[in-house]
Amino acid sequence: MNRLHDLQRDFSRFVFQETGLIPGGIKANGMMPEQRLAIYRNNTRAGLTEALRDVYQVVNRLVGDKFFNRLAEAYINAHPPQSASLLEFGGRFADVISGFQDAQALPYLADTARLEWYWHEAYHEADDHALAMSALARLKPEQYGRLGFNIHPSARFLASDYPIARIWACNQADAGQNERIDLNEGACRLLIYRPDVDVKILSLDKAEYQCLTALASGLTLMQAVRQVDAEHPGFDVLSSLQHWLFRGLLTDFFII
Amino acid sequence: MTHNSNQQMRVRAAIPACAGIGLRSPHHRDALNSHAKTGWLEVHSENYFGKGGAPLRILDAIRADYPVSLHGVGMSLGSVDEPDMRHLRQLKDLIARIEPGLVSEHLCWNSFGGRYLNDLAPLPYTDATLAYLVRRISEVQDFLGRRILIENPSSYLEYEFSTYSESVFLNELARRSGCGILLDVNNVYVSCVNHGWNALDYLQDISAEQVGEIHLAGHSVKQVDEQRILIDTHNGPVSDAVWQLYQCAVQRLGPVPTLIEWDADLPDWEVLVDEAAKADGYLENIYEQAA
Repeated sequence: MNRLHDLQRDFSRFVFQETGLIPGGIKANGMMPEQRLAIYRNNTRAGLTEALRDVYQVVNRLVGDKFFNRLAEAYINAHPPQSASLLEFGGRFADVISGFQDAQALPYLADTARLEWYWHEAYHEADDHALAMSALARLKPEQYGRLGFNIHPSARFLASDYPIARIWACNQADAGQNERIDLNEGACRLLIYRPDVDVKILSLDKAEYQCLTALASGLTLMQAVRQVDAEHPGFDVLSSLQHWLFRGLLTDFFII
Repeated sequence: MTHNSNQQMRVRAAIPACAGIGLRSPHHRDALNSHAKTGWLEVHSENYFGKGGAPLRILDAIRADYPVSLHGVGMSLGSVDEPDMRHLRQLKDLIARIEPGLVSEHLCWNSFGGRYLNDLAPLPYTDATLAYLVRRISEVQDFLGRRILIENPSSYLEYEFSTYSESVFLNELARRSGCGILLDVNNVYVSCVNHGWNALDYLQDISAEQVGEIHLAGHSVKQVDEQRILIDTHNGPVSDAVWQLYQCAVQRLGPVPTLIEWDADLPDWEVLVDEAAKADGYLENIYEQAA
């Protein structure tokens, strides 16, 4: 199968613009073989660009189609698809934006892209049931110190120096009138997750963000609260816990 | 999840020998709620390779009302890369969940060195390719525990060292691997125009008893210097020339499940239902002539 191997190697290198070398044996039949191959190259690049635009609609809206096409071009060259399922394509777009010289004037763009990717991941993540408050009633008090929680599989955490949740909301297709967003209005800490069908984006305060990310990393509640307390004394763990249970964010508990 | 309970309330799985529609996500709700119905639906398998969430739930609901066919665009059967077992497992899981009436893929390769083209790239039609594909398709059918259909692609180039015509290659592939043929009549037309093949000869050559499904779609015309080339864009209605070819196909093949594919610049759901009704009209003519 050496011939098939070399053909596919050269064909795919041409499509991904690594070489102008034309695989041997392509019939001209009224066109240059290069022009025929260029149709495939164009199909690949146009299809992948639209796949990125589908996921990164807010980024596209912020920079416009033409600029987005340049970002997509850079992305396809750096990170071509590693799987046939386009659902998995585009996860490092934020990194490419960060390194893209002409995007430096929009410092919030990369985090906005991260938010869109997390939304996309949460949308397709596994389903899970919320932990019922009553399940915790069976715990014995001596177990509290060793108690930890499983966070919903769709949960993603994102902290940004920019108000990206507002940027995201104002640039949805169904958003109302234009709003002015002051980039200096500050940082945000977000939880993106999908308790049922719809993806939610919640703004968390510093203590809650710290506690949840600690729980998500596998720490027990006691360990997490100890960390939070050091920086944010007076953190109300009980009411937070109730709130998370109510929101369907916790799916199970464990005792270490 | 609840899909086990859904299975009890489903319509039967078999795809009927009438027209159906290729379902894309903007029409999910219409397929469920519109009064305008079609005989069956086909989806792109890879769009439902997520782990959960709305797409799979909607597909479960759709499956309750319609027979569903799973059509893959990324198995990369003709690639010299090792088979992607994760992809095959995802497909197998989706098959178990949806109970499709048909499962299909393409006569093409899509990946090399683990990099995917997101397009259907053409294969040389040689004895070596045939032997390779027979093995690959047999392995896939064994793994999935069912027969698959293989579709003829639209192509924009052909290889000097091909020794088979595409139609004869497909027949041999079906005969040796046990797969069926998904005859895309638009692709036949597009490739025939692009390469100067005779479309009627192509249809005449195809082994009728192997054809399990027909596809119809719209294409675009592109001018490259002096040369006119057709591109398989699925962005409009089926062309008159393809409808004529379709009539020849069903005259010869008899009633075969026929899918309307429309993927870009999507029209309203009702427009797709009308296109499907047109195909049904031609299929009914066959029944009447036979009666």
